[in-house]
Order: sequence, then C-alpha cells, then structure tokens
Amino acid sequence: MLPNNLQQTAAVLAARDQFAATGLPGAKSEPWIYTRLQEVVVNPAQSAQAATSPEAGLILHFDNGLLVSGDVAWPAGMAMRVFTDADMADFAAYLPEDHLLGTLSVGHVTSAIVIEVEAGAQITELLTLRFTANVADQSAHPLIFIKQGAGSQCRIVEHHESHAALSAPLIVMDIGAEAVLDHAKMQADTDSTKHLSLTVMAVAEKADINSFTTAIGGQLARHETHMHLNGEHADVALSSIYMARGTQHQDMTTRMLHQVPNCTSSQLIRGVLDDTAKGVFQGKVVVARDAQKTDGQQMSRALLLSRQAEADAKPELEIYADDVVCSHGATVGELDETHLFYLKSRGIEADEARMMLIEAFLLDTLETVRLDELRASLTTAIQRWMTGV
Amino acid sequence: MTLLEIKDLHAKIGDTEILHGINLTINRGEVHAIMGPNGSGKSTLSYVLSGREGYEVTGGDILLDGESVLEMEADERARAGMFLAFQYPVELPGVGGMTFLRAAVNARLREEGKDEVDQLAFVKLVRAKAKELGVSDDMLKRAVNVGFSGGEKKRYEILQMALLEPSLAVLDETDSGLDVDALRIVSEGVNALRGDQRGMLVITHYQRLLSHIVPDFVHILAHGKIIKSGDKSLALEVEENGYAGLIDAAE
Ligand SMILES: Nc1ncnc2c1ncn2[C@@H]1O[C@H](COP(=O)(O)OP(=O)(O)OP(=O)(O)O)[C@@H](O)[C@H]1O
Ligand SMILES: [Mg+2]
Repeated sequence: MLPNNLQQTAAVLAARDQFAATGLPGAKSEPWIYTRLQEVVVNPAQSAQAATSPEAGLILHFDNGLLVSGDVAWPAGMAMRVFTDADMADFAAYLPEDHLLGTLSVGHVTSAIVIEVEAGAQITELLTLRFTANVADQSAHPLIFIKQGAGSQCRIVEHHESHAALSAPLIVMDIGAEAVLDHAKMQADTDSTKHLSLTVMAVAEKADINSFTTAIGGQLARHETHMHLNGEHADVALSSIYMARGTQHQDMTTRMLHQVPNCTSSQLIRGVLDDTAKGVFQGKVVVARDAQKTDGQQMSRALLLSRQAEADAKPELEIYADDVVCSHGATVGELDETHLFYLKSRGIEADEARMMLIEAFLLDTLETVRLDELRASLTTAIQRWMTGV
Repeated sequence: MTLLEIKDLHAKIGDTEILHGINLTINRGEVHAIMGPNGSGKSTLSYVLSGREGYEVTGGDILLDGESVLEMEADERARAGMFLAFQYPVELPGVGGMTFLRAAVNARLREEGKDEVDQLAFVKLVRAKAKELGVSDDMLKRAVNVGFSGGEKKRYEILQMALLEPSLAVLDETDSGLDVDALRIVSEGVNALRGDQRGMLVITHYQRLLSHIVPDFVHILAHGKIIKSGDKSLALEVEENGYAGLIDAAE
C-alpha cells in the first residue's frame, strides 16, 4: 500500500534515524514519567491478513497497519488518496518536533493516506476508520492525514480492535475555518497489545470540534492529543473515558494550545480503575500571550475500584495572556459508601449498585458525545466492561 | 405472629459502643414508635437493622421472621422485606430516578422468582403512586434526590416504600422537614401500608406525627437502651415533660 517507495523518502528516513538515535524514553524523560515504555516491539508489519476488507460502506479498514479496503463508496466532496512525497513532507510539518510518537510511526510507516473533504461539503455519513491486527510480534504504523476544507462538516469514528505487539496510529487533522467535526475514538485492543497514538488537530477560525475517546483495551495505551487553536473563535470539546483492570495501563495526554484570542476549549476526562490497573492524565493548557479572552477548562476525575489501583494526574496551565478564564482540576476517589448503602438498602445487589454508580460517574462526560448513533454502543461497551468487574 | 425480634442488641461504630442491649419485639400488624433525645442511638439502631457496613454487632441478635439477619448483607435484608426510610436521604447524582426505582423493584421480584416489571406499566404505576404522595413528574425525571428539598426527599422515601411494599418498615424521622400538608399526605401514605401482615418502627421526636400514624407501642431510647415502653400516651407525656424525668427514673 505504499507506492513511490514512501519508506525511502527523506522524511521517513530522517524519522527512522532519529528514532534509532533517541531510542525509547528513559526514566527521566518528563513526558513519559508516568508511562514507562519498556519492551516496545517496533517491527512494522509487511502484509495484511485480509486482502480486501469485506465491509461495505464508508469504511476504511487497516489490517496490520495496512489499508485493505477495496472500493469505498465515497460521498460527493470526500476523497482519498495514498501519500505522495509532498504529502509526507506536509504531514510531518504538523507533528511536534522531536516527538517520540511522531518519529516512531513516520519512521516505520506501514501505510499512509490522505482524506480530503472539500470546502463547504456537508458530509453526514459517518466515516469509519477500523484498525485490526493479528500479528502478536509486529507493529502497525498507519498515517492518516485528514484535510477538512473551510465550512465543511464531517463525522469520523475510529475503532481500534488490534491484536498486535504495537498499534501506533498517527493522525493529523487540518480543520478549516468554520468547519464542523464530530470525532470519536473507541479503543478496545486486546489486552496484550500496546497502543501508542498521536493525534494532532490544527484548528482554524470558528471551527467547531467535538472529540470523544473511549479507551477500554490494550495492555498499555497512550492516547496523546495535541490541539493547535490557530484561528479565533474556534470551539473545541475533548472528552475521554478510560477504564482499566488487571495490569492494564491507560494514559490520556493532551496539549491544548491556544495561540490566538477568543477560543474555547473544554476537556472532561473520567477514569475507572480496578485491580492493579493504572491511569494517567497529563493535560497541559497553554495560552499564548496574544490569546486573550481564552476560555480553557479541564477536569479529570478518576474512580478507584480497588486499593491497589493507581491514578496519576498532572494538569498544567501555562498562561501568558492576562484576560482569560481557565480552570483545571483533578480528583481521585472511590465509590461513596453512603451511595452504595442507599442502593443496597433498596434491595439492589452490590454488583448492580456498583455498576449504577460507575455509570453515574461517567454520565456527564458521556453526554458530551455528539455522534448520536454511537451513544448506544458506547453505553453497551461500558456495561460490558463493567460486567467483568 | 412475630415479625421482628431484637434481642439484647449491642453494636458499635468504630471503637465506640452505641447500642447497649436493646430488646424489642414487633408483631405483624403492629406499629411501634421510638422516641429519644438527640444522639441516643435511634438512627444507629435503624442502620444496624438494615445492615450498614461499619456498624458492628457485638452482642445479641436480630431475627426477621424467626431468622437471624446478622449474616445478611443490606441488600439481602431489603429483599427479605426490610425497608429503611432514611433520616437523611442520599443524593445520587447521575442515577436516574426511574432507573433506580425499577432496579429496586426488579431486585425484589427476582428474589421472589417473578418476572421483572413491564417498563410501561411500571412507569404508570410509579406516576400514580407519586401523585398520591405529591411527588411531581419532574422529580421522577431527575437523578435520585438531587436538587430535592428536604420535604421532597422524605416524600420520595415513602414513594419507594409504597413501591417495595416491605414487611418491616423503619421510618427514621420521616416527619422532619415536612410542612403540615406534607405531613398529612405522607402519613396517609404510611397508613395505607398498615396492615396485619406488616410491621412498622417509626422514629420521631414529635407527638405530632404520632397523632397521624397512631402507634400501638411507644418506646423511649436513651443512651443506647430502651428505658421505658408504653402505649401512645407515653408520647404525650414526653411531649409535655421532656426526657429528663424518664432518664432519671431509669438510672
Ligand atoms: N460514624 C460515627 N462514628 C462515631 N460515632 C458516631 C457515628 N455516627 C453516630 N455516632 C454517635 O452515635 C451516637 C448515636 O447517634 P445516632 O445518629 O444514632 O443518634 P440519634 O438518636 O439518631 O440522634 P438524632 O435524634 O439527632 O437523629 C451519637 O453520639 C453519635 O455521635
Ligand atoms: Mg437520628
């Protein structure tokens, strides 16, 4: 799926060299303090299992990191192509400098595609990006470059269901002025899979973005999201729910960069941790000196279902402007004994009572999802997770 | 027929013994009232009966229908027919009222080996009972107890009781926070459940409630013990003279 010997382009070679030179982050690497990367297998898959995906509809299917979709019925105003050398250079320019996840997947790219949405196109059909794998000793590095034209509307959902050593998707979204994006990510990789993703969104003026992540799979997962608010009056809502048990590790890392005045960003993060699972939230909101009238909110709450579970939170505000409304907060708590007793005193069994309270804990975050058709499946996924409690 | 038997019950919270040997028997069809000064252990008794964690029974026994409930969890006791109307009902943000009521009723039905409720029929039933008790549709739509006034919370407790039809209802200061009309409405709700199959334990500070829900027996609890029992006239005596004389006489 990589014509033009993309793996030999300058950007890829440079990234691969850099990754080889830097290696995995050491114990003192600040961005990886809470999520230690040991034994990450970087062994890009060469072929997909499925020659063509049997799935019909507006679905792009990546198997082992390679695009396997055959004919996709693209709606008018939306099209896909494979990266050219120029696309690769363009794409790389959006990535943060010297970023491990950037060099990792650019350097080991398994497939790379551009999806373009024409200016003004109102695409109501949901675009599904499905990521599967069945290569326990290999890694997947798909690069996806979404360019959303000014005034367009689109709706995208990612489904991650990989069984691989490493699934490391790199996604860049360039969202034009006044564009509307509803985005969701459902990460349910197998519990032997490591998931290391970086998503960068560059947001132009008056764009309206709603992005929701549900993370319930993987042995170790890092969901890193960088939002660059480059145009005034942009509005970004970023919510996440993560749930982990056993020895699972979930990491939500966000960077919200307010570069210009008058933008709004809100982040709601909820974590549920059982057994010896670990959850990490690192959220940085940076407000540049010119970015007056910024409204930046961030709130993370973690619920520990076991004494051995652990939640680490590092919310950070870096504010250089003086006329802003920003807040951040992080709490870690347990289920309230009084709440449990009240439910049990009505005859509701302990397990069911616990589930009701966990759902209640997630509710306000779940309510921010704008992709209505996902709501039911999200609830089901959460309930399925809980029945394993 | 004996419904509840509390025998020489001792209980502690943490390291502090709060109940120092309580004896009380409630037969089916009877309403018992418990009065007593603040801090005498009334709510503690209600929690110990309903099986709240952290309330440790250190002596004696509690028998429901002749069977000890001490080894039963709070939810099992509830499904066995116990109900506690809380002095301070608990707010459950994010837990929808209807979901909560249905879960409670279904838990009971499952225990009895019956089918779960039909959704639509259940909503109708709840609405009808709610109306009788002055619980608005709006309250039914909200999260459990969230944003309810003090009096609304008490009505909502009685609504739950009406739906669960317990064999033993313990009402902990259900009258506090109720205005005069609400007191009448709630009392009617309680009285509607009185019957020869049910027993009630009504905890209150005021004779006023007992003129609506007329008890068969009145007990005075002080310092974790029942120091005097009598009929409804005992409540009047307390109202007039306070507890001091009774406590002195007992010591
Ligand atoms: N969690 C607790 N830890 C320690 N002591 C407690 C606890 N809860 C209650 N107590 C003590 O137990 C005693 C009995 O309290 P309880 O709430 O049962 O009284 P009450 O008779 O219901 O009072 P009121 O009329 O004010 O409702 C009080 O001295 C109280 O301070
Ligand atoms: Mg009390």
